[in-house]
Amino acid sequence: MVDIIVCLKQTVDVNQVRPHPETLEPQLGQAPRKISDFDLNALEEALRIKEKHGGRVVAVCVGHDIQQLLIREALAMGADEAYVVSDPRLEKADGLVTAEVLAALIRKVGRWDLILCGEASLDESAYQTGPRLAEIFNIPHITYAVRVELEDSGVKVWKAMEGGIHVVKASLPAVLAVGLEINTPRLPSLLMIRAASKKPIHEVKLSELGLSEEQLTPAVETLQVKALKVERRRITLEGEPEELAQKLAEILVQEGLVKK
Amino acid sequence: MSTILVYSENPHAAAEMLVAARQLAPSLNASTAALHLGSMSEQDLKAYAAGGAELVYHVDGVDAEKHGPACVAEALANVARNVDAVMVLVAATRLGREVAPRTAQRLKTGYAAECVQLEASSDGLVAYRGVLGGTYQAKLLFKRKPYVVSLQTGRYQPEGSGSQPRVEKVSIEITAPQLELVEIARAESAGVDLEKAELIVSVGRGFKKREDLSMAEELAKVIGAELGCSRPIAGDLKWLPEDRHIGLSGKRVKPKLYLALGISGQVQHLVGIRDSKVVIAVNTDSNAPIMSEADYAVVGDIYKVVPLLTENLKKLLGR
Repeated sequence: MVDIIVCLKQTVDVNQVRPHPETLEPQLGQAPRKISDFDLNALEEALRIKEKHGGRVVAVCVGHDIQQLLIREALAMGADEAYVVSDPRLEKADGLVTAEVLAALIRKVGRWDLILCGEASLDESAYQTGPRLAEIFNIPHITYAVRVELEDSGVKVWKAMEGGIHVVKASLPAVLAVGLEINTPRLPSLLMIRAASKKPIHEVKLSELGLSEEQLTPAVETLQVKALKVERRRITLEGEPEELAQKLAEILVQEGLVKK
Repeated sequence: MSTILVYSENPHAAAEMLVAARQLAPSLNASTAALHLGSMSEQDLKAYAAGGAELVYHVDGVDAEKHGPACVAEALANVARNVDAVMVLVAATRLGREVAPRTAQRLKTGYAAECVQLEASSDGLVAYRGVLGGTYQAKLLFKRKPYVVSLQTGRYQPEGSGSQPRVEKVSIEITAPQLELVEIARAESAGVDLEKAELIVSVGRGFKKREDLSMAEELAKVIGAELGCSRPIAGDLKWLPEDRHIGLSGKRVKPKLYLALGISGQVQHLVGIRDSKVVIAVNTDSNAPIMSEADYAVVGDIYKVVPLLTENLKKLLGR
């Protein structure tokens, strides 16, 4: 039996963010939100471990504007329950504050053996939550996990590094931060979606976590976010395959992109 | 005087970090030093000298590969505290990106990951980094010291002062949780340097079978291009080795021509190709994101267009 915590971040869908035409700032309010991609891989991996070894899977989620519907999505995939902190104050949270709040929330959940999270978030790509949580709990962490096997004495993880795969072992409890390669997250069936409506979502107030003012004060402030402009010609070519192939070959030669 | 403490498990990357640190040092009123863990060779010392290091702190008992990132973070945080570091600068290698946030947490401070540029302001350190899939740049201000930063490599050129840095031995008792390294399986590698390729033909999920990649290979051969791919092709499907994967978590390329075949163009992929001079995309879906990020968006079926294109080019180029 293993009890697993899965950290889920709700982010803006970065593929649907458009820059403001003049200020070049991202128009975040206009893009839909989703569970950060790699976090779904973490949830999937937790569910697979549970199916094999038993135990429970608890989703934890903190943020400034948490959407219940996305929590239900995680429960529909198979998480047993969820703990949520949604507080406007977290809008300015940096990695430090996020980790402190998550850790305090995880303490509320009670007993656990493993924390799984995505190796990086879709919007920030900072690769920091896993290592920070592990440091707070003074336990090992393994990032870039592409394969996980539970053993009697701990966990064996295949970790993708620059030169190849490092196979490492850690004792439990531990934090594993997984990437996209580890699995393909399941799509919940209608039955699972219905069952999810009965699963508990525990809403915890930020003030109930006993965090100090210092722990809630970001150490890094975002001054500005701007689109990096790349000007492309955006010429569309349409027609029969023969025409397209002919035209494209001419372009490649005429623009000197390929040489005789 | 305070210190900018630099670390990388790769001394050449550390040398680059030292160059960046030395540029910031005057405005932060700091000196610079490197941290070296484990045994230190002449070559290592030369690399630090090339970065202009005057001082190297040497902790012998800790090995990054053997003991894991938590122990490296413990050593780095301990030395940072001892020397009253104003900033801890780590090269954004895979290990570096694990060590830096853990160090920041140990020092109860902020962290800016994989930065592309740093500058000192009167309010504190300002860091620039890619966000929202890499298509946007964020400007961050540190409100608390020490500043923990990882910086992309390949941006600073160590010149080499030649003079040997002073080495100071530090002994640290490691108490952080260790990992046990079982084995290292070397990756299958294509042995290519896509970052330097002038022409790239790149393949995505539009290819239905592994054998079908031969269409792209044939085209690449005719024009003398390297083969690249989007993440699923190297990751999930393993049709091509990882060093051909282009995107946020793979290679960032800057060819003269980037020819994207059957690639939809998720932002994580687009960030890897943004420095390409000309982007041509072939895709059946005219609404695929890559089509609005291309110089030429060819709406067509790769299975029909690519073989014909190869034939045409063979004629035009006389091959």
